[in-house]
Amino acid sequence: MKPLADTPRLAVDTTNASAKAGNRPAAWLMPLILVLGVFYLYPVLDVFRFAFSDITLLGKGEQVTIETLIRTLTRPELAEILWVTLIFTGSSVIGQQVLGLAVALVVVRGEKRGLLGTNLLRTTALIAWVVPGVAGGIVWKMLMNGAPFGGLNSVLRLFGAAPVQWLSDPDIVMWSVVIANIWRGTAFSMVVMYAALKAIDPVLYEAADVDGANSWQRFVHVTLPQLRAAIMVNLILITIQTLNTFDAVISLTGGGPGRATEVLSLYTFNTVFRNYDLAAGAVLSLLMLVISMSLALFYTKFLPKEARK
Amino acid sequence: MKASSQARLGDIFSYLFMAVMLIFFAWPLIWLLSLALRTRKEIYLGVARLIPHDPTLENFQAILSSSQFAGYLINALKLSCLSAVGCLIVALPAAYAFSRFEIRAKGAWLMGLLSFQMISPLVIMIPLYRYMASIQMTESHFGVTMVYIALAVPTATWILKGFIDGIPDSLDEAAMIDGCSRFGVFWRIVLPLSTPGIASVFIITVIAGWSQFLVPFLLITKDNLMPIGVGIFQYAGTQNDSSLQVLAAACLVSVVPAIIAFLSLQRLILSAMTAGAVKG
Repeated sequence: MKPLADTPRLAVDTTNASAKAGNRPAAWLMPLILVLGVFYLYPVLDVFRFAFSDITLLGKGEQVTIETLIRTLTRPELAEILWVTLIFTGSSVIGQQVLGLAVALVVVRGEKRGLLGTNLLRTTALIAWVVPGVAGGIVWKMLMNGAPFGGLNSVLRLFGAAPVQWLSDPDIVMWSVVIANIWRGTAFSMVVMYAALKAIDPVLYEAADVDGANSWQRFVHVTLPQLRAAIMVNLILITIQTLNTFDAVISLTGGGPGRATEVLSLYTFNTVFRNYDLAAGAVLSLLMLVISMSLALFYTKFLPKEARK
Repeated sequence: MKASSQARLGDIFSYLFMAVMLIFFAWPLIWLLSLALRTRKEIYLGVARLIPHDPTLENFQAILSSSQFAGYLINALKLSCLSAVGCLIVALPAAYAFSRFEIRAKGAWLMGLLSFQMISPLVIMIPLYRYMASIQMTESHFGVTMVYIALAVPTATWILKGFIDGIPDSLDEAAMIDGCSRFGVFWRIVLPLSTPGIASVFIITVIAGWSQFLVPFLLITKDNLMPIGVGIFQYAGTQNDSSLQVLAAACLVSVVPAIIAFLSLQRLILSAMTAGAVKG
């Protein structure tokens, strides 16, 4: 008798338990927590540990020390790397934000007035954005071929100009890389700016018209203030994307000539995987993290209050 | 009268700007196509042969018939599709939970999720490379797929939560009164209704996987396991000016699948992304 009575009760208990688990968020979040824990949190903690050690990719013996930290942060070339990173990131971000906004404005205007080619422009920009970073680098490398038959130089020759050493002249190469990066990244800013422009209440423009504002005044006093939150969010996103850009640079210039385009992410990569200096690489990745976070905090300071949530 | 002539002037400036931008965005791709269709001789003639006099598909033939390149493409397709499926399996339940359950400090959790994007893949790859080497997970598609999933899952969860938020809660409640379990609600009501969201996240993750370079570059060194991103990088390193046309064809072949995937669901993907960006 007893076993018979026990079995059904046990069955009821398990269904109850599984139903209960289904009502608790933890069960639903578990896969996410596991994946992020194993592949993000644990590695990031390890980066901290590595940074305070003298570990290499080859050796085993590892000691706790802050010597690596000091040694890495005082490397003579680091200042140059940071300068290159600043120019690359700053110019790319400004270029993408300004062009993205300009293209979005023209697209909105074109849609309103039924201008031809509006969709074509938008789609072309988006196609450039979908191109994988490595392929984008290779495409621009072909375009910026220094020979007279290169994709840009042969156009210059049509106008009688001398060929430019886009990728081998140390004074020019940075701007070449920035242009290539703006080409690929602008569409993202365009999409964000377009959505934000569409969200502006038309009543505001009507009010501006009543006040007799011209189009420049409408742009400065209505459009820009209304876009402020979207611009700040966009700046955070594209700054971090640009700081982390690695594939497009390695395939376009490989960081050269010399160190002219060796951005921080590429330098970190070379430190770990070319020089096998894991500890120094960890210090550099911490530096990347700190820079990203402080920039994000810096931008949020400029967010309008209601959007800060 | 004055207003309309001003608007016409504005139109002219708009067209000028649009033309310049169109050339800027399209020129690299037009050049790529032009090179890929040329014979070796015409490479040295620059823009004069933008439209080749003697167009050829030989370069594409050379690329597509090489088993090496076919392998790169298949590997990339496999990795990006597997990771997109895996990403959905992880992100969907989490998105449902974030949308429907009361979770303490939910806002903080969601912001935390977003902040994962600030971490460069390079940062986590440094320790991951070591672990994976120590448990023999390098040179394996499984290991690479898992990393892709981890990289894609924060954005995916965020986008999917937005979609599920749009499905009325009352449907869940009605089904539960009828005796449906939580999982039943999720499986039979929420999933079918979020098909557009699932489709866009799938495509976004496939494109991201297709574009991946760093992860497979570090974890895979065997040629027959490489995806196209790494394959083409290695291939470009061995080429010189005299084989530009073949490299251009290879590059085009690596780019076109991503473009097609994107164009197939363009509107949906853009609305999914901007919803996230504007809210974020």
